[in-house]
Amino acid sequence: MYVELHARSAFSFLEGAATPEQLASTCSSLGMTSMTLLDRDGLYGAPRFYLAAQKIGIRAHIGAEVTCVQGWRYPLLVTSPEGYKNLCRLITRMKLRAAKGEGAVETKELESASGGLICLTGGDEGPLAYALRTAGREGVRRCLEQLSVVFGRENVYVELQRHFSIEEERRNRVAIELAGSLHLPLLATNGVCHALPVQREILDVFTCLRHHRVLSNAGRLLSCNSERYLKSPLQMNALFADLPEAIANTEELAARLQFTLKDLGYKFPIYSTPNHQSQMDFLRDRTRDGMIHRYGAQNERATLQIQRELALIEKLDLAGYFLIVWDIVRFCRENNILVQGRGSAANSAVCYSLGITAVDPVGMNLLFERFLSEERGEWPDIDLDLPSGDQRERAIQYVYERYGKLGAAMTANVITYRGKSAAREIGKVLSFDPETLNRLASLVSAWEYTDSNDTLTRQFKDAGLDLSNHRILKFFELCQKVQDLPRHLGQHSGGMVVCQGQLDSVVPLEPATMPGRVVVQWDKEDCADMGIVKVDLLGLGMMAVLEDSIQLIRAHNKEEIDLGLLPQDDEKVYSALQRADTIGLFQVESRAQMSCLPRLKPKCFYDIVVQVAIIRPGPIVGKMVHPYLNRRQGREAVESLHPSLESTLSRTLGVPLFQEQLLRIAMIAAGFSGGEAEELRRAFGFKRSEARMKEVEIKLRHGMENQGIIGGTQDKIVQAITSFALYGFPESHAASFALIAYASAFLKCHYLAAFTAAMLNNQPMGFYQPATLIKDAQRHGLKFKPIDITRSQWLCTIEESAEGLLVRVGLRYVKGLRKETALQILAQRNRQPFTSIEDLKQRVPHLQKDEMRVLASIGALNFISSKARMHRRSALWQVERAGRPAGVLFEAHVRTDDSDRSSLFSPLDPMNDQERLIADFHGTGLTTGHHPMTQHRVHLNRSGVSPASRLGSLRDGSLVRVAGAVIVRQRPGTAKGFVFLSLEDETGVANIIITPQLFERDHTVVVHNSFLMIEGVLQNQDGVISVKAGIIKPFHLTSAAAPAHDFH
Amino acid sequence: MSPAALFAAIYVPNFILQAIGRCEPELRTRPLAIIDGPPPTYQVVALNRLAEILGVARGMTKAAVTQFAHVTIRTRCRVREEAAHAALLDVAWSITPRVEDAAPDTLLIDISGLTTLFGDAEAIASEIASRASTFGMNVQAAVSANVETARIVARALPGPTIVPEGQERRFLETLPVSMLSPRQELSDIFERWGVTTCKALASLPVLALSECVGQEGVRLQAIASGKGIRPLLLAEPAQHFEEWFELDEAVDDLEALSFLLGRLLDQLSVRLSARALSIAAVRVNFELQPAFDHAFDTSCELLRVKPSARTFSCNLELPVPTRDSKLLLKLLRLRLQSRPPDAPIQKIRMAAQSSLARVTQGALFVPTAPDPDKLELTIARIASVVGERNVGSPQLLDSHRSDAFHMQKFSIAAAGVNTSESAAKHFTNNNLQNSSDHHSTTEAPVIALHVFRPPVPARVRLQGSKPAFASFQGCSGKVVHASGPWRSSGQWWEDQPWQEDAWDLEIIFSGESPARHGLYRFCYDGIQEKWLVRGVYD
Repeated sequence: MYVELHARSAFSFLEGAATPEQLASTCSSLGMTSMTLLDRDGLYGAPRFYLAAQKIGIRAHIGAEVTCVQGWRYPLLVTSPEGYKNLCRLITRMKLRAAKGEGAVETKELESASGGLICLTGGDEGPLAYALRTAGREGVRRCLEQLSVVFGRENVYVELQRHFSIEEERRNRVAIELAGSLHLPLLATNGVCHALPVQREILDVFTCLRHHRVLSNAGRLLSCNSERYLKSPLQMNALFADLPEAIANTEELAARLQFTLKDLGYKFPIYSTPNHQSQMDFLRDRTRDGMIHRYGAQNERATLQIQRELALIEKLDLAGYFLIVWDIVRFCRENNILVQGRGSAANSAVCYSLGITAVDPVGMNLLFERFLSEERGEWPDIDLDLPSGDQRERAIQYVYERYGKLGAAMTANVITYRGKSAAREIGKVLSFDPETLNRLASLVSAWEYTDSNDTLTRQFKDAGLDLSNHRILKFFELCQKVQDLPRHLGQHSGGMVVCQGQLDSVVPLEPATMPGRVVVQWDKEDCADMGIVKVDLLGLGMMAVLEDSIQLIRAHNKEEIDLGLLPQDDEKVYSALQRADTIGLFQVESRAQMSCLPRLKPKCFYDIVVQVAIIRPGPIVGKMVHPYLNRRQGREAVESLHPSLESTLSRTLGVPLFQEQLLRIAMIAAGFSGGEAEELRRAFGFKRSEARMKEVEIKLRHGMENQGIIGGTQDKIVQAITSFALYGFPESHAASFALIAYASAFLKCHYLAAFTAAMLNNQPMGFYQPATLIKDAQRHGLKFKPIDITRSQWLCTIEESAEGLLVRVGLRYVKGLRKETALQILAQRNRQPFTSIEDLKQRVPHLQKDEMRVLASIGALNFISSKARMHRRSALWQVERAGRPAGVLFEAHVRTDDSDRSSLFSPLDPMNDQERLIADFHGTGLTTGHHPMTQHRVHLNRSGVSPASRLGSLRDGSLVRVAGAVIVRQRPGTAKGFVFLSLEDETGVANIIITPQLFERDHTVVVHNSFLMIEGVLQNQDGVISVKAGIIKPFHLTSAAAPAHDFH
Repeated sequence: MSPAALFAAIYVPNFILQAIGRCEPELRTRPLAIIDGPPPTYQVVALNRLAEILGVARGMTKAAVTQFAHVTIRTRCRVREEAAHAALLDVAWSITPRVEDAAPDTLLIDISGLTTLFGDAEAIASEIASRASTFGMNVQAAVSANVETARIVARALPGPTIVPEGQERRFLETLPVSMLSPRQELSDIFERWGVTTCKALASLPVLALSECVGQEGVRLQAIASGKGIRPLLLAEPAQHFEEWFELDEAVDDLEALSFLLGRLLDQLSVRLSARALSIAAVRVNFELQPAFDHAFDTSCELLRVKPSARTFSCNLELPVPTRDSKLLLKLLRLRLQSRPPDAPIQKIRMAAQSSLARVTQGALFVPTAPDPDKLELTIARIASVVGERNVGSPQLLDSHRSDAFHMQKFSIAAAGVNTSESAAKHFTNNNLQNSSDHHSTTEAPVIALHVFRPPVPARVRLQGSKPAFASFQGCSGKVVHASGPWRSSGQWWEDQPWQEDAWDLEIIFSGESPARHGLYRFCYDGIQEKWLVRGVYD
């Protein structure tokens, strides 16, 4: 029976066209019992291949093609754990000493690392072909002899491939002859590069991308034919009918390949405890200390829960893991880095006690099994949120320091071909001209939602492209086929893996683009699937805002804020949430959240948890939102799916909203154990397979029947679970987020200046542009000071004045001003104040003319002279003068005359309000002055345009006219083609709803105008105010406008 | 009249539109929009008032304009613009030889001292307008003692405008600064300064302005004040020679066409001779009568996506420049005989590429080569018999397809080099040579393949998957040895992919005594499902 022992997947990056999963399933369908994956210089696809093979019941042999410095590649197959270690270390060594994406081994390195490896002589890129090309028959003999010395005669196989090529057949003849004379075994392989013949097209496209060619000029670089697909044993037997031993040897060799990824040899590091205390005892002590701090010594429920958890942790031998995460958190605390655990870890009372998470799972009755279960047999998942930027980097570097360069690494992020980038690259290969390329790429729609009329045919017709053109049709076929194939390896944003001992013997390591970083060849999911523990150190913009806010409050309000000790029932916070006054707040600031808040009216912390979780695809797709809100408002009776589920669903008024509830339902209604319930969630998760879902559903129904739940109720429960499992939000996760949301709301309500300054200093983040954040803060009474070169810092700062605290906008908002130049300005200013623009130019020579022009046009130079205030045009006039070299002859004269020159009268008129506004927006993207709509209000009032703030007082159903700057445009996938706009005027934000028909008609007006005037029917329901647009017109008042947050 | 300098500016408003309207006057009375841009992103670049009233605007996409049923859409035609510009130059040169070609739509002319010929300044301006209208263009003319003032006023104001001397500033002051065509950087500075009109610019202090924006700013300020003085940059005579001929009745007879071609060639030849130049190449573009199936289909979309054969071109590239119009006519006739256009001809556009006449003779020790003119004529005669694509020097293509080559134009100079190069390439590419192993080439006898072009159709009977019996060209025989298949395929991204299995067959032909053996290269074309004989091994 033939076994394919030389196959490349798409993880050979541009040298293979099938995913490991495709290869495995094709292998199985062809009736082969095992197969070897040999990707180029890596084990990138190995875990996926192994898991896919395991699922369909075939054996996955592991190996790699390893490039050597002379240029050929050794196909190496792993026979034993030792061989696997050797291969991983070999690849790591060659990768780490070279630039990203490069690296090759020396032949002598193989000598010390050949144990447990079998070497084939390869195909076109193999050592035999290379020897034949360069040194003829004698060269081949020498090559085979050398391989026999390095790997041992019994570990070298002379490989034969037959792709109907005359060239290859000549090589085979030489190989057969010499194999005979040297007594080396022959081995038939097909040098597979794709699973199916048709995938040769993708391979050709990849070849072009690799060589920077297009199909029409790639010539003989392309495949000669489509024969490198996975062939059946029957086909291979026929091909090698004259050499039956070459086929027989495949089976024999496959039998020697005993290693599988099951024997990975990964061990989690041991936490070294003081005084030789055991890890478990040490954990117990830390937990007890924490519990007393969190719960007090007498909390019986908490004590019981913690005991239960600790028992399981001990049983699963996970104490070390908890201690290592605790250690990272401790490091962050000690170094004033804000940190909070999220994800399923929030379900654990141990994590809460250790200070890893901030949500009380006992108080909130969270499901521990969602975090850890005996049945699952996998490592728990703890994600730590850190302030994005330098602080997070410090935490990462701490882990590197603690576990060593080869003991810790970032997980990889496999970048795949997707959407526009795929379209563009394929278009290029097909030689489309740049304009057509842009057109074709734009067809890969940026819309989240595409209506049913947006068929391919229509899109093509609209773009003026001919569907009957063979090349254009090929383009789309290829675009579809290439989707999700790996393109290159990136670095995951925060996932880190750590290992006891040498991580490089578990998985090959590579240098990342970022200096000092090392990544493993597997992505986050693969690491988890292989049982490698990862800790996610995630950067969260809002954490950075909270941290910055705390520092600003400390400095200016002279108060110390401890986020763990915020009052939990602050009236101002709940009032703001109930009014949907949430611009800038974490998680609850989106348009959809805002339209839900006045109906949900959060009154306690748990309501915020619900609020965070309810506007998600799960509850929306599962049609849970309206029933919940109706029940909350008393318009619908609170009914549970089944009486037995009442306790589970009572907190959410009988409507399942969280993943944990789903698991509990399965446990209660179908008698699932915690682990089985978690298994159910995974079956319906991202990597869902129809067969597995069906299997779980049968089990679920069977379980419910045993509990006496049948008929309609059973269907309802199954329906709730299936529609919800994929998109549902875990309650623990929602609770962690709700904590941050509450903290952000608290800071905004009580320390607006600090919160706003911190928000502005951490952009881009969140939903709104800085211009909108400033206008919102102004409406809340905060005063801003414009950018002033004599006062502003790089970041936005807080100034104290008689009117209270106000925010000075920082130089970071000056468009085009480089940070290093700004820092030079500040350094010079600190040394001695500037006296004139000429002085500024001379003392900061790196300041470019364009930078000075922007500074002048936004009024940042108005106060540069202590003698008199300049207007912006005066400054612009001076800037042009200062920027021009006076020439050698007049240089001395100019220098002596500086002060006179700067105080010279400018012949230009000052800017008017409108011009200042435009200059502000062009130069900074925001204004601290009036809103662009303000100066038109009298005229707008006359035209019957209502300000946004008045809409709330108007009757539902009345006809209204509103106008403003478009700050958000959205067309969510769940909204059936409806478009939502937010129009901002000087009084607030008006929400607009546009029907799909109207949008289709006025598409250009909606998309291309910064200001709109909209007439429509006011909808004022339960305090949710919106205008259903009837007529949409562009509103021309000024070119100033911040860019809208478009279609996200 | 005073002998003082006097200049006129001629400006064609909406030039792109007028260039189209000049050739199709009937369009002037209809709403018209001109589109331009790369194919899928056509946008309106010019439109007339009628279209504007209907709501069409500049920058609209073609798809948006097609929603206006009454608006005629034309694609921008740069050739027509060039022709319109040439006509505009003719207008100017008919007034005075002192012409500055300021822009495609603007000419400046020196009309000093012309009053005795045409009358006063107003009369000259009217004369210009009137002559332009006979060329099919409406122009705006302005006369001023200051050339820049004339240019700006002509662009800004309709109708003939006379700017009295000393009144320049008054005419300019309300005009926007952009009329002065400042560089982008200056334009941005003026915008930031709030200097929007010529008056505002003129009122700035000169010295300070010079300090701020340099001499360019000062120059613009002088122009804005009506004071800038400069000489005219006189236009050079054109180097491009082109003749057009449009027929009322389409011609489909070569004799009649030869007459017209002869006339055009004579004209070109005379024009070039006058400048001591010869013709290095002739490019003739014929616009053909639309074929019947396209006659009712005016959809530009269709035309763009599937370019119909509405144009036909015939190019002559001469090995040495010539002025012999008779030789050129013969070459053109031979070309048209071998590859005639497939529809009657409506329009002829003939362009000549000029070159200096040949002034040197061949080197003394270089072997004599055929006379280039005669050689060209001979090649053209052969091409007319065997087809243009079948004459020249073969060049191998970089492809897995065996025997893929294309014909390059034959030239004596390149012939020597080409032959050796292509032979070398062929050697390295030929599948029969064991290019990968030069050692084996010395061991194995080298055999050559005589290629049949075109390949010979054959019939092959298979036994299992191997050929067992083959027949072609009346011979048939048993296959005694078969080697293959050598499989190749490619160009899957084109309309015409290829796929073939090649076999090397040793055949014993039946019915011959003594039995004749032959070694052939057969191939099976997988797309056409046919067997072919590619060649025979020597």
